[in-house]
Amino acid sequence: MDKKTVIEAVAGGVMFAICLTGYVHASRKNDGAVLTKKQKRVKKLWFVGLIIGAWFLTGVLITWFSGKKFRFAIDFEMFSERIPLFGQFTVAKTTLIAAGSSLVIIVLLLLFRIFAIRKFSAGKPTGVQNAVEAAVEAVDKYVASVVGTAAAKGLAPYMLSVVLFMLGCAFSELFGLRAPTSDLTCTLALGLLTFALLNIYGIKKHGVIGRLKSMGGAVPAMRPVMIPLKAVSDFAVPVSLACRLFGNMIGGMMVMDLLKGVLGGYASGLPAIAGLYFNLFHPMIQIYIFVTLSLTFINEATE
Amino acid sequence: MNYIAAAIVMFAVCLVGFGMCFATIKSVESSARQPEAAGKIQTILLLGCALAESTAIYAFVVALILATSK
Repeated sequence: MDKKTVIEAVAGGVMFAICLTGYVHASRKNDGAVLTKKQKRVKKLWFVGLIIGAWFLTGVLITWFSGKKFRFAIDFEMFSERIPLFGQFTVAKTTLIAAGSSLVIIVLLLLFRIFAIRKFSAGKPTGVQNAVEAAVEAVDKYVASVVGTAAAKGLAPYMLSVVLFMLGCAFSELFGLRAPTSDLTCTLALGLLTFALLNIYGIKKHGVIGRLKSMGGAVPAMRPVMIPLKAVSDFAVPVSLACRLFGNMIGGMMVMDLLKGVLGGYASGLPAIAGLYFNLFHPMIQIYIFVTLSLTFINEATE
Repeated sequence: MNYIAAAIVMFAVCLVGFGMCFATIKSVESSARQPEAAGKIQTILLLGCALAESTAIYAFVVALILATSK
């Protein structure tokens, strides 16, 4: 333990102590009486100093105890590490995380089904029932507005489950695990599901020959040229969906890794605030975009 | 060498920024002119931005593949 660490720790501690006494003093002095605007500002200032002092002190202590100054190295891999399960059979870590988060979601939904839905009434909805009904209705309405009511009957539940799965993945990132959606295999699986649905709904609507005809366009002479072109653009759908989701998720993950690497031992508190954007808000926008694009492609196939 | 290639690929991102900027300018203009259509315009804007952003994402993925492959 060198001189610099001691000075830093003492400075952090002194700042913390001064701000703590100042804050306590400022809040106790006017007990009962209404605070004036200036007193409120002073109190706020003490509080900010308190937080900064506490953060600095924690950072110094963490760097001192761990013995590492700064940890600026990204050990990034395109695909996640594999864990041996039974002898030679290995499983990617993200697959296990995906299975775990799905399991948690399934258990929560089962509990919801057993305990909450029993109390639901057909009459006036109140409380939880109101919120759930509003959410389901919103998804139903949104899907129906893109693909039409006939296709929405089957697609709305699927889209809601995709949303729940991806939300579970986003939340697993908050616990320090690698999000399954930041693995190309998971996103490609979701993209292939969309591709399968696109073809199923297209063939269901037109039949196989009708689908080929609708792919070729209105002019019969152009069809031999147009059908391969349309087929290529259809095959690009799962790849583009997968790459978009994967790139966005891994971008968020890398930004968080960089932030943690820069802060080193001082990474207490600040990554939580940044994580709200990069691990929660950003994935939610991506979920919305994934669902919207899937529905748009399916609608294009059924037209 | 791979890192230089990755850096060059990431140049695409700046052009994507311009593209998304134009889309946003137009959407703000149109929703100021017609505030009742703001909700619909917002949906279209999000979709368009996602499609424009995908170019940047492809560049990012290619850069990642270049930087991590040996």
